[in-house]
Amino acid sequence: MKTPLFGAFGAPGPKHMLGAMQSIDGRMRKYGNQGEVDFCIVGVGSAGGVLLQRLARAGFSVVGLEAGPLWDTERDWVSDEAGSHKLYWNDLRITGGEHPLTLGANNSGKGVGGGSVHWAAFVPRLHPSDFRVYSEDGVGADWPICYEDLKPYYELLEREIPVSGPAYFPWGDPHGYPYGPHPMGGCGDILINGCTKLGIRVCIGGPVAILAGSHGKRPHCIYRGYCIQGCKVGAKQSTLISHVPNALEHGAEIRDSCMVSRINLARNGSSKSGTVTGVTYFDSQGHEAEQKAKAVIVCGYAIETPRLLLNSACPGFENGLANSSGTLGKYLMAQAGNVVLGRFPELIRMYKAPPAHAMTEEFYETDTKRGFARGFGIQTVGPLPIAFARQMTIAKGAWGWGMRRVMMDYNHWGAIALLGEILPWPDNRLELAAEKDKYGIPVTKVTFNLHDNDKKMIEYGKNKVMEVMSAAGAEEVVQEQRYAHLVGAARMGSDPRTSVVDGFGRTHDIPNLFVCDGSVMPTQGSANPGLTIQALAARTADYLIAQSQFGLKKGAHSSETPRIRYDLSPPDTWGKGVPHLK
Amino acid sequence: MKAKDVKPGKVIRVLDASTRPIDPATGKPLEPRAQPGYYPGYDVLSQQAFWDAATRKVVLDRVRKIPPIRFFTPDETDLFRAVCDRIIPQNDRDSDHQIVIVNFIDERLHENRLDGYRFENMPPDQKAYQLGLRAITEIAQHLYAKSFLGLTTLEQEFVLKTVHDGNPPAGHDIWKRMPVHRFWHLLVQDIVGIYYAHPYAWNEIGFGGPAYPRGYMRLENGDPEPWEVEEKRYEWEAPLGSPSADYGAIAGMSEHPGAPGQRGTH
Amino acid sequence: MKAHDKFGIVRSTIADIPVDAEHAAHEITVHIREGRFQRSLALIAGFTGGMSGLEVAYEHYKGSYSNAIMYTPVILSQALLIAGVSGAVSRRAARTILPTVSAITLVDCAIGFGFHIRGIQRKPGGWRLPVFNIIMGPPLFAPLLFGMSAYLGLIASFLRRESASRFARPGRVPLPTVSRLLPAKVQRDEIIELQEVREGRFQKHLALSTAFATFFSGFEALYSHYKNNFKYKIQWSPIIVAGLLIGASLGAIWKPKVAKRLLPTASALAIANGTIGFCYHARGITRRPGGTKRLLYNIIYGPPILAPLLFAGCGFLGLLASMFRRER
Ligand SMILES: Cc1cc2nc3c(=O)[nH]c(=O)nc-3n(C[C@H](O)[C@H](O)[C@H](O)COP(=O)(O)OP(=O)(O)OC[C@H]3O[C@@H](n4cnc5c(N)ncnc54)[C@H](O)[C@@H]3O)c2cc1C
Ligand code: SF4
Repeated sequence: MKTPLFGAFGAPGPKHMLGAMQSIDGRMRKYGNQGEVDFCIVGVGSAGGVLLQRLARAGFSVVGLEAGPLWDTERDWVSDEAGSHKLYWNDLRITGGEHPLTLGANNSGKGVGGGSVHWAAFVPRLHPSDFRVYSEDGVGADWPICYEDLKPYYELLEREIPVSGPAYFPWGDPHGYPYGPHPMGGCGDILINGCTKLGIRVCIGGPVAILAGSHGKRPHCIYRGYCIQGCKVGAKQSTLISHVPNALEHGAEIRDSCMVSRINLARNGSSKSGTVTGVTYFDSQGHEAEQKAKAVIVCGYAIETPRLLLNSACPGFENGLANSSGTLGKYLMAQAGNVVLGRFPELIRMYKAPPAHAMTEEFYETDTKRGFARGFGIQTVGPLPIAFARQMTIAKGAWGWGMRRVMMDYNHWGAIALLGEILPWPDNRLELAAEKDKYGIPVTKVTFNLHDNDKKMIEYGKNKVMEVMSAAGAEEVVQEQRYAHLVGAARMGSDPRTSVVDGFGRTHDIPNLFVCDGSVMPTQGSANPGLTIQALAARTADYLIAQSQFGLKKGAHSSETPRIRYDLSPPDTWGKGVPHLK
Repeated sequence: MKAKDVKPGKVIRVLDASTRPIDPATGKPLEPRAQPGYYPGYDVLSQQAFWDAATRKVVLDRVRKIPPIRFFTPDETDLFRAVCDRIIPQNDRDSDHQIVIVNFIDERLHENRLDGYRFENMPPDQKAYQLGLRAITEIAQHLYAKSFLGLTTLEQEFVLKTVHDGNPPAGHDIWKRMPVHRFWHLLVQDIVGIYYAHPYAWNEIGFGGPAYPRGYMRLENGDPEPWEVEEKRYEWEAPLGSPSADYGAIAGMSEHPGAPGQRGTH
Repeated sequence: MKAHDKFGIVRSTIADIPVDAEHAAHEITVHIREGRFQRSLALIAGFTGGMSGLEVAYEHYKGSYSNAIMYTPVILSQALLIAGVSGAVSRRAARTILPTVSAITLVDCAIGFGFHIRGIQRKPGGWRLPVFNIIMGPPLFAPLLFGMSAYLGLIASFLRRESASRFARPGRVPLPTVSRLLPAKVQRDEIIELQEVREGRFQKHLALSTAFATFFSGFEALYSHYKNNFKYKIQWSPIIVAGLLIGASLGAIWKPKVAKRLLPTASALAIANGTIGFCYHARGITRRPGGTKRLLYNIIYGPPILAPLLFAGCGFLGLLASMFRRER
């Protein structure tokens, strides 16, 4: 066939190729910014999207302010690597320290859905041990909550997303997934072959937030490998597709292309306490505006959240809002994400199939024999040509004819990656720099250093991944140092002197100011953070709903765990799926 | 040949035989081809009817709409074009199938399109390019007492290799303002990012290209889709003595692995 | 006659198949010719149904049972298995449960076919990308292939039992209740037809069914082997054999000679091909990454282990058809 039947696919008409799912048709409720709404959410990303949906469905008036656009996936997204640059937060950030992180394309999203638009969608849970790293290993920190607190939310989100994976996942708290596993691509086969040779258990076909089976209007994955470029198909979950449509149906408003510049505060006399009254933002035309709210929840990602809180400093809160502990912006974490590339005599064609489709957590927990605390996972990745060429400039120092030659062999290369737990350190931090962005808000400066434990983990982990690659039959194995998944910097804890928020995301200092995104994580494990972030958001939502009847400005009414609201899930959540271990 | 004499976007490079890759069997330079690489007859663009309209537009614009030079001065443009020609040499491509690089980087700098970050010890990207090009000129002068454009391709490669290796013999005041390896990193990452975004380059490496609404069905064992072609390898060698044919760590990267990859993977 | 004693219980409860090999072939042929093999056909319907049920189970597992209706064929297939076995054991079950379950299954298959057509339509590009979406979408004809078992079950319910006397007049078939609503003339035709089935006179009919089943199964082989790029030459064989068998079946409708000569040969080929294919598929599964250590996953995503057996089943159907008498 030279063309599809009836000729080339044309521009999408008023009706989208995949139906309403691809654009949020229908009218959105508009609150206008004169009155006070119940909740104002800053950033409709991974956490913000879930929160928005829950609160709207529970009947509250809620406005989400989002710095980026509300995507029309059929018109705005492309099935092309270079053309997907706009999905990322590309505004200037300054990066430094001994081991500076690359930001932008490597980190956060901009636009409704946030990072979940361009994530690879690996969604493992944290292990029970992750919540007590300090008690068990004497490093890092303990969480104020434990695995059992989050477990029902993991299960709930795994259904809402829904997650595809094996019916039995053996690590951490063993469990299974509501959708079945995916078929393998070249890199998955490499990981399985390598691990099987070395006797390492491996989990195939998930867990990923990618549909193996249709889900409502969302179709099955078509194995095109462009997950990181935004899934036009709608098979990969982003909160834009799984939660936002339902939020809008229930009366939430999303004001897109609105950059929040500060959170406003009403101070109690001259004391060091107060309540927030709302936020100031720049709307899509660049005009400054204000939105009043009974409570503000900041969901702006581990960089923008602390930046906004720091930038909202005001009399009584000179070091930034909710920063009486001085820990705001500190304990920033990234996971070690070294990519290991292997050349095989046979063809691989790693651009097919989603990059995320097989993994092992065999090395997740602390093993004293290895000489460092905590551990790492190994996962498949599937770099497309540009990403691969850039990896080759570092992994092999390639340029000129050498670059042309190795790229001609692109189809012979496969890639798998380390995902290692770097511990939280106070000197890994984020501050406001002197330079300003186009709104006049100071840009962020991120400082990052590896510590001894981290270096040992990376060395050991990297070698292990290279060993797996060789065992799979690669004739040449190289690697590139990389970091992934920024979290922390507004961490939760039970002690207000050493943490920014409590176990539900409420700031210790200001009763109606909440943080809900990856920045609340005290440690990160070596599981990708996305599912945990969304599960925490659902939990925070239940807490907000339960507490709001007492008035949020007064502070916690009781620290009781709220009832889990199973009735607030988006449609299509229940009544299907494969039999699996609960 | 000076690019100034040529329509914007249309670039003709000197196709001196000694600059072309060599056929090891005969020892002779390979003829320039419309499509180097091991996938003869493979044409990604022939599949465009199967792509969605938004993607088709982005990819075709990349082939057809070459942005004008707005950021670089004419002299910088010539110099930078020569540098790009060494970082991604295209002497094995015929002149109709060479991929324009400079104009796209110029566009990025003109529009101040960032990658979302800047290293604390680096000037803004625009400044970095201006400084870097000046340094390259100085190295050429230092080593050969000629302008970079006046050098043979091999000599040009040797000049760039000093930057790759992290020991440039000249331009020291510039390297005080920005670390050598960071500049190299910026330069190479930008250039390969443009080259391998082009459908001609996809044909060369056998990449399937856009895949929506039609996805892939043969996921394993490197099997080609019905519309992809099987690999047909041939032997070739880089032009005699070319230093870029060898792989070597970028100096500064191994001691402190502080230039991690920029692209997200998982 | 030791074997006889040893299997005495089996013999008396399940099938009147004589153990004495000499008589066996002859007896079976006679039974089939005369439509006296309700028990065997009920068993065949039950087992093929159960088997395709297994295939449905893992195929739908690949689709994550994303719609609760995807469980129905799995449940019905097991119901069909039970109905088939009970039909073999009890005459009453063969007249009641078997046709009921078979009819429900047939309806379910028709609905399933509709869902599969819609499933392909709902994939990106829909029917405008027929090749890709048939290959990657829900298997188009799989519900119909599964329906063939139910159809056999339905036929079985009209047959005579093996124990029925050769010389007794085949009793009259009671018309299904729904048929009473039809005009008298149609009712009369139906009675005649059913009577013929009862007497084993429906060769043409079964040959046509064979052609259909083979088409469904062969089509699946075609696109899944195409998906695999016909990496081994032998992957063409079921497609060629399917062509042959379809030809022979259609020919059998047209000429008794074809039914007697060509059809059994083509059917035997299909049975052999399916059996060999089964071995290849089993080998393919063990050769996948992780091999037998990942057996379950590799069964699900490796070459479909039961598909060749279903293809062999089509050959079996053809063989059966060749043994029947023709319609009057
Ligand atoms: C390439 C890549 C692959 C990844 N793969 C995985 C993976 O496989 N699995 C996994 O679990 N995780 C993965 N991640 C990480 C994951 O995407 C993030 O951890 C997660 O999305 C973070 O969620 P969040 O809610 O904290 O922030 P985000 O989802 O980034 O949401 C923040 C939102 O807030 C908005 N915002 C910020 N500041 C403001 C402001 N001042 N005003 C208004 N709006 C604002 C932003 O525009 C953004 O939309 C990946 C990340 C990348 C870059
Ligand atoms: S591989 Fe699947 S999930 Fe990823 S972009 Fe393609 S269709 Fe979406």
